[in-house]
Formats: sequence, structure tokens, C-alpha cells
Amino acid sequence: MRVATDIGGTFTDLVYVSPDGRVGLAKSPSTPPHFSQGVLDVIRKAGIDPGQVEGFVHGSTVVINALTERKGARTGLVTTRGFRDVLAIGRANRPDMYNMRFRKQAPFVPRQWRYEVTERIDYRGRVVTPLDEGDVRRVADQIAREGLEAVAVCFLHSYANPAHEQRCAELLRELLPGVAVSASHEITMEWREYERKSTVVLNAYVRPAASRYLERLESELKELGIGRGLEVMKSNGGTTPFAVARKQPIHLVESGPVAGVIGAQAVARRAGVDNIITLDIGGTTAKTSLVEAGQVRITTDYRIERDGRLPGYPIKVPVVDIVEIGAGGGSIARIDEAGAVRIGPKSAGSVPGPACYGRGGTQPTVTDANLLTGRLNPAYFLAGDLRLDPDKAKEAIRPLAERFGLPVEEAALGILRVANASMVNAIKLVSVRRGYDPRDFTLVAFGGGGPLHAAALAQELHIRRVLIPPAPGTFSALGMLATRPVQDFVRTRLLPSADEHMDQVKALFAAMKEEALAFMAASGFDPSRVHLRYLVDMRYRGQEHTVRVPVAAVDRQEMEARFHELHEQAYTFRLDSPVELVNFHVSAVCQETPVDVEALAPAFSGDGSPKGRRNVLFEGTGWVSCPVYERANLVPDRAVEGPAIIEEPTSTAVVHPGQRARVDELGNILVETGV
Amino acid sequence: MFRSPGGSKPLDPFTAEIVREGLLAIAEEMFASLGRTSKSPIIYEVLDYACALTTARAELIGQANGVTGFLGTLTYAVQDILDKFGDDMAPGDIFATNDPYGGGGSHLSDVSMVMPIFVDGHLVAFAVNKAHWSEIGGKDAGSWTTDATEIYQEGLQLPGVRLFRQGRPEQGILDIIAANVRTPDMTLGDLHAQAACLRLAGVRMQELCAKYGIDTVHQAIEQLLNHGEQLARQGLARLPKGVFEAEDFIDDDGLGHEPRPVRVRVTITDDEFIADFTGTAPQSRGPVNCSRVALMSGVRAIFLALTNPNVPANEGCFRPLRVICPDGTVLTAQRPAPVSTHWEARLFSTEIVWKALAPAVPERLTAGHYLSVCAEVVVSTRPETGELAILVEPNAGGWGAGFDKDGEDGLYCVGDGETYVLPAEVAEASYSVRVNRYAFDIVDAGEGRFRGGRGMVREYVVTSEEGATVTASFGRHRFRPWGVQGGRDGSPNYVQVVRADGREEPPAGKLARAYLAKGDMLRLVTGTGGGWGDPRLRPREKVLADLRAGMITVQAARDVYGLTEEELAGVEEATPGGR
Repeated sequence: MRVATDIGGTFTDLVYVSPDGRVGLAKSPSTPPHFSQGVLDVIRKAGIDPGQVEGFVHGSTVVINALTERKGARTGLVTTRGFRDVLAIGRANRPDMYNMRFRKQAPFVPRQWRYEVTERIDYRGRVVTPLDEGDVRRVADQIAREGLEAVAVCFLHSYANPAHEQRCAELLRELLPGVAVSASHEITMEWREYERKSTVVLNAYVRPAASRYLERLESELKELGIGRGLEVMKSNGGTTPFAVARKQPIHLVESGPVAGVIGAQAVARRAGVDNIITLDIGGTTAKTSLVEAGQVRITTDYRIERDGRLPGYPIKVPVVDIVEIGAGGGSIARIDEAGAVRIGPKSAGSVPGPACYGRGGTQPTVTDANLLTGRLNPAYFLAGDLRLDPDKAKEAIRPLAERFGLPVEEAALGILRVANASMVNAIKLVSVRRGYDPRDFTLVAFGGGGPLHAAALAQELHIRRVLIPPAPGTFSALGMLATRPVQDFVRTRLLPSADEHMDQVKALFAAMKEEALAFMAASGFDPSRVHLRYLVDMRYRGQEHTVRVPVAAVDRQEMEARFHELHEQAYTFRLDSPVELVNFHVSAVCQETPVDVEALAPAFSGDGSPKGRRNVLFEGTGWVSCPVYERANLVPDRAVEGPAIIEEPTSTAVVHPGQRARVDELGNILVETGV
Repeated sequence: MFRSPGGSKPLDPFTAEIVREGLLAIAEEMFASLGRTSKSPIIYEVLDYACALTTARAELIGQANGVTGFLGTLTYAVQDILDKFGDDMAPGDIFATNDPYGGGGSHLSDVSMVMPIFVDGHLVAFAVNKAHWSEIGGKDAGSWTTDATEIYQEGLQLPGVRLFRQGRPEQGILDIIAANVRTPDMTLGDLHAQAACLRLAGVRMQELCAKYGIDTVHQAIEQLLNHGEQLARQGLARLPKGVFEAEDFIDDDGLGHEPRPVRVRVTITDDEFIADFTGTAPQSRGPVNCSRVALMSGVRAIFLALTNPNVPANEGCFRPLRVICPDGTVLTAQRPAPVSTHWEARLFSTEIVWKALAPAVPERLTAGHYLSVCAEVVVSTRPETGELAILVEPNAGGWGAGFDKDGEDGLYCVGDGETYVLPAEVAEASYSVRVNRYAFDIVDAGEGRFRGGRGMVREYVVTSEEGATVTASFGRHRFRPWGVQGGRDGSPNYVQVVRADGREEPPAGKLARAYLAKGDMLRLVTGTGGGWGDPRLRPREKVLADLRAGMITVQAARDVYGLTEEELAGVEEATPGGR
């Protein structure tokens, strides 16, 4: 059987599919700071037979936590002479332009632990100055004296020739047993020294903590009798064995939200849909991502701790392209000092939470607005575990309503409209702004809040159909069951797109193929089941930004034709200028049979009748009496006419007037928006 | 409740917010689109461009910019086009201007493009953008220089011309541009990218009007501007009232003439912020002048910093601001005065107000920073292909200390913003240079209870057989970043040529077409910012930490911060070697 465990802030979730196709879910409190305990707890609670576990996928926040809490290792950096300050300079940008007291974010390695050695390689990979091994030995002494636990090595142009980094790392490993040494080319082979340096430094910084955590979990799992197929969820939407993750933990940085996208993709594909936009609304944020023709979009322009005012820290590893905005259930609505309405990014979080939670929150939130407009059932939130208090919600929204001379419920609807508008803008960021028409996509909604808002957003964006998978509130762990081992390889090599360079391209891809297959074999996968995808980042000469072009065969004309097409889609025009090839990607996917999501379909035993009615406030129609259904009681393919509410233990779906919903055989709710 | 001027039904606050967000999203989408499609590094790496929407009356609705220097200048470009063409505009028309004395506002390299947006046959708004073209012709490659004496030497002038008529290019104009610039492929590529960006804005604006109705959009815009004004007035109310004065000096005019004084008298009342530059030097023969539009932009930037730094700017934000300056000064130059290094004047207009107010508004302002854009042009060839390659880049430097914080190390100046340093790896692959060093410059300057941030040193060794030609303008070479309340002044910006044989030429603030042979090195150094407060009051542990990190010298620790020999002895051992 295949098991997935996902550690969240409050709960650790477990989902499994048993050999007879049965799906099981279990939930147990997370146990910071020793998260592995929570994993063991939830395994016991689920009552699965460890001996039957053949695949174990784990999603962990250990990496992102170590970074955001600054609880990583004492880390040093070894770099090319003359360049130790690059890490602190960053790109020197000031996103907070009119703040004359702007503060840069401090580097993860302080200056006294940034060491320089003599060596130099040029942009073509030719050695200009050989590596001075005496320098490396002297630096090793200092690292030992300072008692550092981890070291990053990053030299200029190592993407073109990693020889010096390799030798330096080798020496340091020899001289400093017990110190975790990471070299930049092992993590990323893309150019730009600051970004590569930041990536390897963050990898080094989290490595001891991640390594300890994974080792401990592994040995505890083995004690339980779970020892086969231990894998970790990565930010690229794939998985990797524990052993690999211990060396390259930075690949785990964004794994949580990514699992939801992969799950949505799997569920949608099974339902016969290849083009989807995902919508994952939690307590503090809404996240959205676009999947075209079954392919998730991968970016390497990822940064942590970046917002409109801070540049953040770049991490150049492949990450599923997700846009996240500060509009979730707990986001707070307020009136700014000059009288305009604003929502988020401040959130009431889970403590104290929205006012209606009755845990001391007094500020109006999106959840309060959903309650007052009749969308949420006060007696059936989190399966009834948390009783919502409409009076407290009213109290919270009243000042805002009075300010504008509106009834409280009208103000609540206003809050929802503004929140929806910012979610619409986020979805436009991943679609319209990248040259995709949302009308060609299905909106897949999950997270506790996704199904509450999805139908309204879809209508606004002229999306015809919304798909709400089973158990949308615990969808991330479910998504992990649908993942496969994936390893990405990227190299920067600047080449004009010309026939005479195609042999070079072929040779590069051949070398990368060899590397990819060797890596997958060393990671324990059967090479015959490894599938490779080839992509090239291309651009018009003189441009900086590239377009990622899938390559079926190394053929200049074909590649260029596809490039012109994709460029025009993304940027509205094509040029006659010569074309350049910049980054080469090989993505290795192990074709293990992921779990058939059909197993997730519930047994239908209900009669499809509503369990009651309540009044819901909609824009345009005012208050309308709506039937309320229990999701488990719905009958496949029998239409539910909107307006209607469909409740389940961890989520609530809203079907608007004029819309129509039904459940398919797989248990998905499909809402036709009628646009 | 809000009411529209026409008296139609009032706009609810939620719809107002939704439309407002929609309008700002258009400016941001324009910005993203142009950055991604541009062909010049100065646009896509340095983000030396800005995009905006204005009303049909040329009032700023929303702007997305990469640099502060373009704040509030785009509206003047729209105004110029509106004045010149009036009713003679049709859907699909796109106009361009780079007239520095008028709507262009900065120098010829910055080209503004303007497109009227029509909905149902009515002019509802303008989309406008402005970008630094790497090449606009003129006497020197890269188009800006430090020794021009007339605008005619600085490039091709586009005094408000129609580039596209109802969607079709005016081929004659494009041909003139192509014939007058050194990199026609890149320049015309940028022109088309700018045009595409404007058209995108047009489509989005039409969508917005179709969804909410023109009337609602107009009302939302009106509210947006009023909202900006209210925020500005609230910010103004928090400022101390009174008269504040300052004086500073622009080094020289690039032709060896005397320093140019810049003077300001700021008067803050309950409802006005008046910056009076009377007493500032007359315009120069050399190109350190800026025009009135640049002055306006410079003062707007600091006014926003003082009143309202966190909210997207619109025309309303500047209603309480009044700028006074006679014509013909170094800040209000008249044709045909050269203006290609306009920032050497414009940034003084920002920082002189800052200097006057820093002691009085410490919660918003720091001590003086390295100030100049510190830009250079390196004309060489592309490695491998041998084509002409022009490296243009601004340099980061040290910022001043605040009343409670050290200055920032290696950060772009007030005239830049969301500007990115050119990576050494990209520079080496694109131009015939090798970067020898890129590091903080540790000099004895900027000490204080809170110390100034460190400037940078960046060294380029020329690698092409034909050598390279360098032009550079590093202002604040003679007049250093200023300290506050006993904090020491920072250090000067300079450029220095080091010949292949090791011979160092004297540091200079400006270079015009200096020839560097293969193996020669260009050293670019930016200043440390000013300190805040008496250095003797700096806590010992902070001085020791700086020493351990190598951020100050032993000499400064002893002589300026007053560390004893005993205290010093413990540290030196901990100083890392391998350097």
C-alpha cells in the first residue's frame, strides 16, 4: 500500500490506499519541535499494517521552518577571491522605493564566515587561475576553529565548469569530517552568481537540521517496520528518496502547497480534464497555479521572504509556479486612514482566528463575512468541532458597516466581493498575464475555503466549470499519493540557435541524459522505467527573459517554430531577430504507477435530497432561500440547481443562482457556471 | 457617500476598491510585460523604466516603476502630447517624446511613449511608458556623456511625434530612428516592446470599462485621486511646521568649471509643502543640468517619502506640494543646454530637501548617502562575435545611518529603486571584460554612533584586443555624503584607471571616452554613507563586531571609536585569514 503523511501547522494528516483500493484518512496533532513523533502517532492512529507499506511519501515543513525561524546551522561560505560580499550585496535593489530608512535583509552567512580562495574560471569554463589548494587548507583550518557545522562552496562560472568547486568540496570533506559541505553546482547549474550563492548557502544552512530529522524519522519508521520506498515531497511536484533529500534539502522548501497542485492535476486528469487552474484557499492565503495539457509549470525564479517591500532570498531550484496572495479565511478587512476598504494581508490566523471563532478575535475577517451571508453553517464548521458565533461576527463587521451606512450583511457581502476581486487578480496573474485564457481551463478548488469562493470567481473569469475534489480540506496529503519521483537537471550554456550548434546541443543533452539516468539508478529506481523530458529556455538575442520550450527532437527549425509560437502566446508578439539557447533542462520522471484516484470515490448511498434550507445573500439577487445538501448524500449525475449549499465535514461549497452542480462517479463536485 | 461629478448614483466603497485594484493591476501588468520583452539589459536587469495610466486630462492614476527617478514624470509626457495633438488622435495611435525640456523630462535616452485609450469613441485615459534606450545616437556611443555642450550632441530628438497611426507604424519615423542609433536592432526592439505594452493597457482598460461601465470607472478614478490627496494631507499634518534650509554643491559641470551650488528653503505649513530653490546656480555649459520636469520628479520623490511612502502614488498625492525655482538654473535648464547626466542635478533636488529635513524628521530620513547614480558606459565588443557591445550600468553604494540604525551597505541610490546589479557572470559573457573584484570598500569614513553603510568597489579588466572606451559620471566626488549630529561624513565616489603595468591614474569624478587597452583595469568606487551621532558613543561590542567582520579598519576602531590597544589585541586574532 501507499501512504502519504503531511505535516501542517496544527495537524499531521495521513492518507493511504489499501491494496483492495480502500482510501483511509487519519489526523493527529502535530508535535513541534519533534515532528516525527506526530508522524508515528498518525500512523498508529490510522491502524495500517506497516508490513504492507510499499511506498511512503512524506511532506515536511522542516526546511521552510528552519529558514523562517533562522534555526539552521552555523554556516560558512567559500568563494572566489574578490567576491565574498556578493552574498550581502544581493542585487542591491530597493523594492520599497520611497522608504529612505529601508533595511536590507541580513545574509545567512555573516561576513567573518565568508572566505575567499584564489581560483578563476571564465564564462566559457576555461581555467584562468588554477585553484590554490593551500588557500583551501587554510580556510578549512579557520572553519574548524570557528566550529562551523556546514559550508557552502560557490565559485564564479561553476555552471560552465564545476571542476574547481568539485575539488574544493572534496578537499573540505576530507579535511572537515562532520561538516556538511554543499557545492553550488550540485544544486543548480544556472548562471548569476548571487542567486546560485544564495541557493547553496540556504541548502548548507538547513542541511544538518533536515538531515537529522530525516535520519531520525527513517530509523523510527524502520523500527515500526516501514522501510521500503521512503520518499519526500519536493517543490518541483515530484518526490525523491530520503537519502537524496538529506544532501539537497533545499528542494523540499515549498513542498506543501505543491502537493495540492499535483493532486488537483491527478484528479482532473482522471476526470478527463487536462487544463486546470488550481485554487487553494487556507486561513491566511489563497494560492493558485496553472496546469496546461497535464503539465505543471515549473519556475526557478523562486524567493523566500519576498514581498512588495523586501527582495527576499533567491532559491534557484525548480518549484511549481504558484502565486500566493494574502487573502484567506482569516484575512482582516479594514478601512484605511483615508477611508478606503482594504482586505489582508494581515490575518487573524488560527489564534485568535476570525471573530466568529469566539477565541478573542475582534476584527472582521473573510470567514466572518462568509458566515453572515449564510454561506457557512455555524453548527457544522470543522465537522461541528468549532461552533461559530454569528453575533461576534456581526460585532466585528458593524463598525465598517456603520462607516458606510450599510446593513451589516451588506458590508459582509462587500468584504467577500473585494476578497474575490483580489483572488481574481491572482488567477489572472497565472493565466491572462502569461498568455492563457481562463475560459480554456477548469477551476479546481480545494483547501477549507476554496469551494466557498470558487464558483463566484469562475463566473467572473468566464470559466465554465469548477471541480471540487473529495475531501478538499485535507487535499495536500491526498495530492502526495499522486506524486512520482522527479529529478530536474538544468545547465546554462549560451548558444546561438544555428544549425552548426545542434551537435553541441545533442552532446549536452546526451551528457545530461547520462547524468539523469545514473542519478535515478543511484537513487534506487529502475532506469527502464525512467522517462526523460527535454526543454530549452530560448530567447531573442538581446533579450534577457526566456521562454521554456519543450523539445521533442533536437531540430533547429522545429525548436524555433515552437519558440516563436510560445513567445507570441506569452508576450503577444514575435520578432525576426536571431534566437539564442540559454538553459537546458532534463526532467527525469520515474513511471511508477501512482495511485489511481478512482479509489478516492466514495460509496454512494444517499438519496440526493437536501438536508434543510437556509437564506444566503448573493450579489444581485439579495437574500435567497437555498437548499442545503450533505455532500455524502448526493447521487451521481443528478443535478443540483443553484442557488444551493453543499456541506461536508471540512468544507462548504457555494453554488450561485443560475449555476448547476452535480457529483460525478469519482465523487468530484462539478459546478457548471453557465457562462 | 461619494458622488460622481455628474450626480449619477453613488459608487459603493467595495466597487470603488475593486476598480481601484483593477486600475493598479493594469499598470503592474504593463510593467511586467515591458520588462519581459525588452531587449536591453538597462531595461530588463536595471529596470530603468516606468509604466502608468493617466486620466484623459493627464492626471496620474497609477504607476508602476522600477526607479524613483521617473516618479510623476510620465504625466508631463502625456500633457505634451495632449497639448500638441489635441483632437487629432485616434484609436491605435502611439506617440513618442524624449524632449528633456518638455514632457520627456530627463535626457534623450529616456523615451516616453503615449497611447490614447478610447472606449465607445470617447477618450477615457492614456497609457504611457518611459524607458531608457541604451542607444539614441549622438556624439558618443551610449548617448550620454560628461562633456557635451549642447543637446544636439546628445542624440536624436523626438519632440512629440506619431510613431503609429491607427495601429500602423509611421515607417519613415522608424527609419529615421534606425538610421540615427548605433544599435538599431535593440533600440527598435525596445520601441516595439513599449508599443505592445501600451496596447495591452488599452485592452485591459476597455475590459474594465465594459465590465463596470465608463461612469463607474470615472467615479472610481476620481475617488482614487481624492484618496491620494487625503493620505498626503494626513502625512503633511504629521510633519513639523516651519522653515528649513540647506545648501550643497554639485562637483563641477564636466568641463572643469567650479562647483555649482544648490539651495533650498522648505516651508511646511498646515496645508502646503513649499520647496523654493531660488539661489541655485545658473545652468551649466556641461551636461550636469536637469529640466523643470526632472526637478518636479525629484521633489515629488522626497515629498512622497516624507508623507506617504507606502501607498501607490497618484496625482492626488502631490496636490499639497509646490515647487518654486526660476528658469535657467542648473535645475531648470533651457534649450539647448546639455542634460545627458541630468541625475547629477536632479538627485540634488531630492537630497537637498532631505538634508534640510533629516534632523527634524528622523523617523523618515537618514544621514546623507552616496547620491550619484554613479553610472558608466563601457563601449567594447561582444566576446566571440566581435559586434559592438555597450555596457551601461548604475552602481550601488553606501547609505547614511539613521537615528537608530547603521546605514545600508551596497544599495542603489535614491534615484534608482527596483534596480538590479549586473551579475559578474552575465557581464563577462556579454561584454569583453573580466570582473576582478566586487566588494565593500572599507575606508575610514562615515563613523558615528550609528555608522554609514559601505560603498562598493567593482573592477573591470578589459579583455578585448581592441580595448574599450569608458565614459563615467560619479558625482559626489568632491562633496561627501553628510553626517548628522556629530556623525562623520562619508567618502567620495570615484572612478580610477589602473593600467596593465600597474600604474594608477588619479581618481576622478568624471571620465569622457577614456581609452583602456587590453589588460587595463577600470576601478569603480562608490562612497560610504554619512554617520549619525558621536562615534565615541557607539557601543563597544558593535565596534568589535565590525572589526571582526572586517567592516572597519583597526585604525578607525582605535582613533575614531576609541578602542584601547588591549581591546584591539583580542580581536585581531579572530579576524579571518584566507583573504
